[in-house]
Amino acid sequence: MASSSSSGLTFKLHPLVIVNISDHYTRVKSQLNLPPSLTSTSSAATSNNNNNNSNGGENNQQKPPRVYGCVIGVQRGRTVEIFNSFELIYDPSTRSLDRSFLEKKQELYKKVFPHFYVLGWYSTGSDAQESDMHFHKALMDINESPLYVLLNPAINPAQKDLPVTIYESELHVIDGVPQLIFVRSSYTIETVEAERISVDHVAHLKPSGGSAATQLAAQLTGIHSAIKMLNSRIRVVHQYLVGMQKGDIPCESSLLRQVSSLLRRLPAIESEKFQDDLLMEYNDTLLITYLAMFTNCSSTMNELVDKFNTAYDRHSRRGGRTAFI
Amino acid sequence: MNSVEGLLTQIRGLSSTASDVLSLQNVLKQADESLHAESTRLLPFLDQLDPSKHSLGYLYFLEACTAGPVTTESASSFVLIIARFISSCVAEQIRLAPDKFISVCKRFKDQVLLLEEPLRGVAPMLTAVRKLQSSTEHLTTLHPEFLLLCLLAKCYKTGLSILEEDIFEVDQPRDLYLYCYYGGMICIGQKCFRKALELLHNVVTAPMSTINAIAVEAYKKYILVSLIHHGQLSTSLPKYASGVAQRNLKSLCLSYMELANSYNNGKIADLETYVQANMEKFGSDNNLGLVKQVVSSIYKRNIQRLTQTYLTLSLQDIANTVQLNRPKEAEMHVLQMIQDGEIYATINQKDGMVRFVEDPELYKTCEMIEHIDLSIQRLMTLSNKLTVMDELISCDPLYLGKAGRERQRFDFDDFDSVPQRFNI
Repeated sequence: MASSSSSGLTFKLHPLVIVNISDHYTRVKSQLNLPPSLTSTSSAATSNNNNNNSNGGENNQQKPPRVYGCVIGVQRGRTVEIFNSFELIYDPSTRSLDRSFLEKKQELYKKVFPHFYVLGWYSTGSDAQESDMHFHKALMDINESPLYVLLNPAINPAQKDLPVTIYESELHVIDGVPQLIFVRSSYTIETVEAERISVDHVAHLKPSGGSAATQLAAQLTGIHSAIKMLNSRIRVVHQYLVGMQKGDIPCESSLLRQVSSLLRRLPAIESEKFQDDLLMEYNDTLLITYLAMFTNCSSTMNELVDKFNTAYDRHSRRGGRTAFI
Repeated sequence: MNSVEGLLTQIRGLSSTASDVLSLQNVLKQADESLHAESTRLLPFLDQLDPSKHSLGYLYFLEACTAGPVTTESASSFVLIIARFISSCVAEQIRLAPDKFISVCKRFKDQVLLLEEPLRGVAPMLTAVRKLQSSTEHLTTLHPEFLLLCLLAKCYKTGLSILEEDIFEVDQPRDLYLYCYYGGMICIGQKCFRKALELLHNVVTAPMSTINAIAVEAYKKYILVSLIHHGQLSTSLPKYASGVAQRNLKSLCLSYMELANSYNNGKIADLETYVQANMEKFGSDNNLGLVKQVVSSIYKRNIQRLTQTYLTLSLQDIANTVQLNRPKEAEMHVLQMIQDGEIYATINQKDGMVRFVEDPELYKTCEMIEHIDLSIQRLMTLSNKLTVMDELISCDPLYLGKAGRERQRFDFDDFDSVPQRFNI
């Protein structure tokens, strides 16, 4: 399971496939009823909890479930484009694949998307394993060279790229025995307009604290780091001067002259009116921030109260079937 | 008696490390029955234990001792023992058996009340509260007991110090109702009407499945304090108040609602006749003092209404409009209000004219910057906590089940096989 493929095929992956796999995995995991410290709120590709804490984990911790399914798409010449995916039931211990279900699904998808073929299969996990080869070979009667799409559900905040890898199978001769092994291939992400909108929507659902997504935040971060650097430089000069005063460092008049001229540069304006205006603007900005925080907080509170009333108020409005509009 | 002796040696032996204390707790739980059986003879054994080292064992013994009925003679000796125990016990050991600690402190409060010296109980109870709560945001059952003692001993300032803290976790809903109700009364006593209003509002809008007497009494005081502080009463409860409260509270406090109505009309004579007519009803609820304050606050409301109509007014005119007798009284009222910061005005003594001005705060000072900054920080922590709670409740199966039933249907598929329950 290594190196890069030499088949010369270019792969294009659609985000729909990634979202599908992630959704399948999250659903199965939450239905397993894991203890609350390990479950998380369900959302699409972004937040799956890291279950693989092998260092002194709890005794009742279950291994994260693996999910399986098929990927379908189009192959035109040397370009393979993976459009969609569907789920399959596969038991790795008995290696039993539900063939009839697979065929039925294929038929259904053929009716709607006549150009799509079964290109391969997907699963979740951190790395491709030996046992995966059996599933791979099982699919070989549908497609002579299936693909294996692997999604790693562990969340790694330091990781910058998608935890998705595509493997192909190649026949290599190892120790004189020809064997099929998995080799990695590179891929690009290709989006349709509808997918772009939904991915955008999902990305904005959970504004995490770490990302400086907006322009304002980026600008403020820039200013913040500049001020921090200025502060540290001033500290250095200050320490130097203190040392000179104590006598640890020999006095150098040229340096002292430079420091003095630097200090005389600021503050640029020193007058009553300037102070007034500065404080007034400072106060105004603070008040606007306060107002923004207030609005944010009230809106969260409002949603919370609504949810609470829906969940716990016994005599809330009866839910009826609303008319189809 | 052998079992008791054995228990004593075990306590002394197993009180050193945390794991020992846990095993000691199991031993004590099993021996609890036998301790209660011999409750009358346990008192001399208490001397053999040291409350600061063997807090858990001492607590079990103490709880068994005080299980019997409280009499005046035993009360004075017990009060001393319990007070000493509370001040010297170890918080971690106590938190292993919180209900026993709470029952001991409640007996303590009963005994102190029996001896009619609530002041003796205030300081030990404060220490007990601090030792029991796991953080300052945690409300324990001892909080309302402590506030009750403060109220009866009339030392409101100590009570106020506890009320300053924000509460985020509550053990029992009844604690919250009582805590906020007593807290409201303490704030009324100290004339901090704003905080009193906040606390009483909490009682009235707290989640409750059936109406309870604490909420009714709190609502009566809430009406009165709202009239004193704001000069008006909002007739409907906010939407986060429970449905039970919204439907029933008003009908249970009818005479107070009438009082609020006649207050709004602004005629002092009507208000006073109404108060006279219902004097004994207000008296039976112990609200007479508050009602009198409401009557005296109506003058303030009328003067405040004048600031919205006139720029300058003579003292004589003020006295006439507000139905006061002499301009001197009007001057006193206006002066008091300027001092309290309720209106902004200048009185010209020469010709007896009052000029109403606007709020002179210019929002240009450094103190204002600090004030706003602090408020922003507080708001940020609150916002974080709210987001966490919002996420928690979004995953609550009770909520998801009900939300699923009422979701919007835009497609033919949505009408079939509505998931009535999420199989979680």
